Amino acid sequence: MKPPPFHYVRCSSAADAVALLSEGGEDAKLLAGGQSLVPLLNFRLARPSLLVDINHIEDLDYVREDEAELCIGALTRQATLERTSLRSCWDAIAEAVPLIGHYPTRFRGTVGGSIAHADPSAEIPVLCLGYGARLTLVGADNQRIVVADDFFLGPFMTLIEPSEILTDVCLTAPPLGASTAFEEFSERHGDFALVSVFAGMQLIDGVCSWVRIAAAGVGPTPVRAAAAEAALLGSRASDADLREAAAALASECSIRDDFHCSAKARSEIANELALRALTRARGKQVGVAGRRSEGLHQPSSESSAREDN
Amino acid sequence: MEQMSDQDSPLRSRTDPAVVAMVGSDDIVEVTFELNGTATTLRCSVRWTLADMLREKARVTGTHLGCEHGVCGACTVIVDGEPVRSCVMLAVQVEGSSVRTIEGLCPSGELHPVQRAFHESHALQCGFCTPGFIMLSVGLLEREPDASEGRIRDVLSSNLCRCTGYRPILRAVRSAQREMSQ
Amino acid sequence: MLAAEPKSVGRPVLRKEDNRLIKGLGCYVADVNRPDQVYARIVRSQVAHAKLLAVHLEEARARPGCVAAFAAADIPDIAQKKIPVRITPSRLDQFALQTPLAVDKVRYVGEPIAVVVATDPYVAEDVAEDVWAEMEELPPHLDPLSAGGSVLHEMVPDNIVGDIDTSNGEDVDGLFRNADVLLHQRFSIHRHSAAPMEPRGLVAEADPQTGRLVVWGPTKVKHFNKRVLASMLDLPDNRILLIEPDVGGGFGPRGEFYPEDFLIPWLALRLKRPVKWIEDRAENFVALNHSREHVIDLTIAAQSDGTLLGFRCTDWCSVGAYVRTTGLTVAKLVGLHLSGPYRWRGFSSKVIGVLTNKTPLGTYRGPGEVEATFVRERALDILAAKLGLDPTDIRRRNLIPAEALPYRVETGPRSETLEYGSGNYPAMFDRLLANAGYQELKDEQARRRELGEAVGIGVACFLDQGGIGPFEQARVVAEVDGTFTGYVGVASVGQGVQTALAQILADEIGVSVDRARILHHDTDSIEDGMGAYASRTTSVGGSALVLAARQLKDNARRAGAQRFGVAEHEVELRADEVWACDGRVVTFRALECEASARFETSAIDFSFGSVLATVSVDRGTGRVRVERYVGHYDVGRAVNPLIVRGQLEGGAAQGIGGILLEELAYDDRGQPLCTSFMDYMLPTMSEVPYIETAWSEFPSEDNLIGAKGAGEAGIIGSMAVIANAVADAVDPDRMVVTSTPLRADRVLGLLRASSSAPPHGISSTLDST
Repeated sequence: MKPPPFHYVRCSSAADAVALLSEGGEDAKLLAGGQSLVPLLNFRLARPSLLVDINHIEDLDYVREDEAELCIGALTRQATLERTSLRSCWDAIAEAVPLIGHYPTRFRGTVGGSIAHADPSAEIPVLCLGYGARLTLVGADNQRIVVADDFFLGPFMTLIEPSEILTDVCLTAPPLGASTAFEEFSERHGDFALVSVFAGMQLIDGVCSWVRIAAAGVGPTPVRAAAAEAALLGSRASDADLREAAAALASECSIRDDFHCSAKARSEIANELALRALTRARGKQVGVAGRRSEGLHQPSSESSAREDN
Repeated sequence: MEQMSDQDSPLRSRTDPAVVAMVGSDDIVEVTFELNGTATTLRCSVRWTLADMLREKARVTGTHLGCEHGVCGACTVIVDGEPVRSCVMLAVQVEGSSVRTIEGLCPSGELHPVQRAFHESHALQCGFCTPGFIMLSVGLLEREPDASEGRIRDVLSSNLCRCTGYRPILRAVRSAQREMSQ
Repeated sequence: MLAAEPKSVGRPVLRKEDNRLIKGLGCYVADVNRPDQVYARIVRSQVAHAKLLAVHLEEARARPGCVAAFAAADIPDIAQKKIPVRITPSRLDQFALQTPLAVDKVRYVGEPIAVVVATDPYVAEDVAEDVWAEMEELPPHLDPLSAGGSVLHEMVPDNIVGDIDTSNGEDVDGLFRNADVLLHQRFSIHRHSAAPMEPRGLVAEADPQTGRLVVWGPTKVKHFNKRVLASMLDLPDNRILLIEPDVGGGFGPRGEFYPEDFLIPWLALRLKRPVKWIEDRAENFVALNHSREHVIDLTIAAQSDGTLLGFRCTDWCSVGAYVRTTGLTVAKLVGLHLSGPYRWRGFSSKVIGVLTNKTPLGTYRGPGEVEATFVRERALDILAAKLGLDPTDIRRRNLIPAEALPYRVETGPRSETLEYGSGNYPAMFDRLLANAGYQELKDEQARRRELGEAVGIGVACFLDQGGIGPFEQARVVAEVDGTFTGYVGVASVGQGVQTALAQILADEIGVSVDRARILHHDTDSIEDGMGAYASRTTSVGGSALVLAARQLKDNARRAGAQRFGVAEHEVELRADEVWACDGRVVTFRALECEASARFETSAIDFSFGSVLATVSVDRGTGRVRVERYVGHYDVGRAVNPLIVRGQLEGGAAQGIGGILLEELAYDDRGQPLCTSFMDYMLPTMSEVPYIETAWSEFPSEDNLIGAKGAGEAGIIGSMAVIANAVADAVDPDRMVVTSTPLRADRVLGLLRASSSAPPHGISSTLDST
């Protein structure tokens, strides 16, 4: 499983990268973290004629938080984001990023790379939808900003043009006082999620004044669950309201059976995860500690007790 | 696959890294980096992975290939202080970097605490995944010396072992952690 | 047993193997490099079933960097070079053997159709892509239950390559007629891959000085493979040397003779250059033997108090496209292990080997034993539920009692008699339940069920077989530096052979273990050997070593007495020194002693094991979390407790992964859906619980060590116990788990279905009289 032949060039600025992509044509690809691309090269499922290595572009590795937004450079490593402490409205990021791949892959994988690669089960695109991200794309002649809702077109397909590079992601801060949560299900630690759900909510005087629900694994792209959001907005976010919203998300599930999971099961899991994420987000609003979904980060008290020497 | 550029292309003239030779379809480059503390320059095709450059050109074969798609972690090495999977990194990407492999852990012959702990905890059987686990553990403990058991389990879940059932590996890393903190 | 007071046997001696391995100084086959070597790559069929009309090598040969490219037409007499069956032949297997390259038909995705050679492995892959084949596709035959359909091999018109009957003499029909209860169930078990962490590889070189063909990479059954290779190459045996490097896990499939085991050496001879071939993981998934795919019908006859009377069984075993070296062993062992550690008045089973257009089958850790244990233990739980019995009670009622051992089980006129030797099954089972705290677990389960949790407890009992003969040989040499080298014909696949056998050797001579070393690496060092499989290296290999060491001591005594000019009875052996009465002493090494011996056995050890597991099932996602896994095994004698524990824990982890996560599937065109670690999911540390392991020692009387197997015991009960626990969690009526794997979406389906009528796939009848 060795990569096919390609030419390789390093560049040191976004403008350089764009120029190289233009020259390289359709078969040129950007190499950022490589955690998605290099496996594809090894399987020979990707056969670019030119790899443009953008890892040395300097001003695209940053995390800047202010009141209104959280801006992240596209080349920011996932591990950097994981280590950055943010205020509590960005909880969903703190919960989601440790679930991306594994510890070693997060040192290389980038925030922008994950968005541009657009694996339909990836976590960061869900965060982009949940937080209403604005994505900056730089092309040969212009620069444009695209909102996340419009960005993901299909599995591994986005609005990025062949000679454009994603440079920045700005997530919109939720209203002051809102809470967010992220839930994911994969059968094994670190795997691609079968389903993941972002939930954001604000209750003012017991009424839901802001809600965002986004999910991956329920269709060919990550989705904003508009019907589920509509069901909750203006409600008192009672258990029944949450169940209705979760069911609305599950019913919008358009994914087909695949080898790993039947469509029916996926839809049920989506329902369950949506309910858990919404319940925890609501819990953070009313000051009730929620229990994270089991499995991934629970230090096992059994193991200490049963350790033999 | 069409050749993308010929000798006269403006692209070729500012290609970085410089192509020092072409063999068949392959551009050959030189990669200069620090390997286990020693400055090293090696030549290979741009499409070679870091793992293959280490194994075939540097002839340090302790880094193993179990999957070549970044899942099993047997190929884990430490680049600039970070444990990474060398099968999904290109060799050219370590230009100017510091790379540590299993062979560099005990240059004077005295075992690193993690190595000793693996031996004493019977944390290896066939040994194929072992260098990857050791480098992952060394990387983690150097960065997070006070990592909790839950954190260690979470990080060690990055790599696969088919022989031990994992508990001895966890014991070994905890034991090494205690020794390294003294 | 062992002559001297044991000094290291029984102690947790740290492994000799480790020092190189923890430093990254292991030498696995991919680390072997020969001067001027070239790199081979196999071109494999992308189609499951087709007539192979032509293989085009022109473009491949024209690519710069290509050294050579060959298809079947380039290898003389290739149609006669069929890879033979090593064990468990069957009626028509001679018509379903594989040639090293496909000749006129391809029969599974992954079948080798050509081999190319290039100057580096990257270019070799480029060259391989240039090869193309003209094929006429045929419909694939994929379902072992439908014996008809598309025919794979002309001379096997119904795709049934053979069958094996196992029956215990009593009138099974009569037992069924007089039973209070009949339980009928169909079970299906999925395809597994052993998936060792190291893929396969070979480096072959014709030594320019000696003219011998040297091959690095073989393991497991080196001497057999050497003979096969010699025969296929028309060379005398002694012109071939097979060298076993460090091996990254075997588990059964690695080390058998595959097409590449002919092709790579053939290339080395043909090209007169060393040839290196290293398999990648995607290839490993389609080329390495698969295992465990069966559909099994089981009908049990019992009394209403839970006393087992008899059973009938039919097993359709999906053999794959060819019969490989292990023949119908997997299926045969299902038949032999169905009865297990229980008393039955009679039984009859038929296992049927059905050819399918999939990767061929081989033995995988606990072959047939895992599957037989699964169906029987599942059936016992279903029966217990129907009869209102606790699962532990139905087992206690039927376990063979200690006073009945040794217990003989006839298995039919053309099949062997099984003799279950030492042990105490009920006592061990009770120990397991005590260790696990069974009653406390039941109480806790009741409490948690009140809170709505889906929690289950499962148990399983089984017999493991090991110590298979017919022989092993050993040679012991007293080295000049005061150490002792034991040469053995078994193999290492990572299980600690060098340490355990060194302990045995050291103790027999009476020296410390650091003065003993074991070499098993090549076919020259010992004349013949059977190899490493069926949990035999310590028991059978160790016994040969003991005999050789005893012979060494006899030789030393004789030589020493001669040296001193006294009679043999006038000298005394103290460790590795020969002492005369007058104080003269001479060492074994000064006497240049060496000795060889052969240990033969026709017995098979059966050792009891039992396991308990608790699981909690997430009702919302179907995820199964194994909370506790407790095992109690009879290992006969634990030569090295560290190594024994490691084997038992590793086997359990492999089994847990096998039933909950790992699945090899094919689509309806015969295309494999799992060719990477992203699809075939091995468990990580997060999915494997702490495996609680304990053992008893009822020494084997059939070998000189007393050891029974430990290499496979850890996995044998794992599929059954997890299935039983999940069945208990999702529906305490224990009807619903009859197929594997238990992936999250299947478990969700079981949860949804449990409150309604029996779901699709279950056919269960219960007749009462």
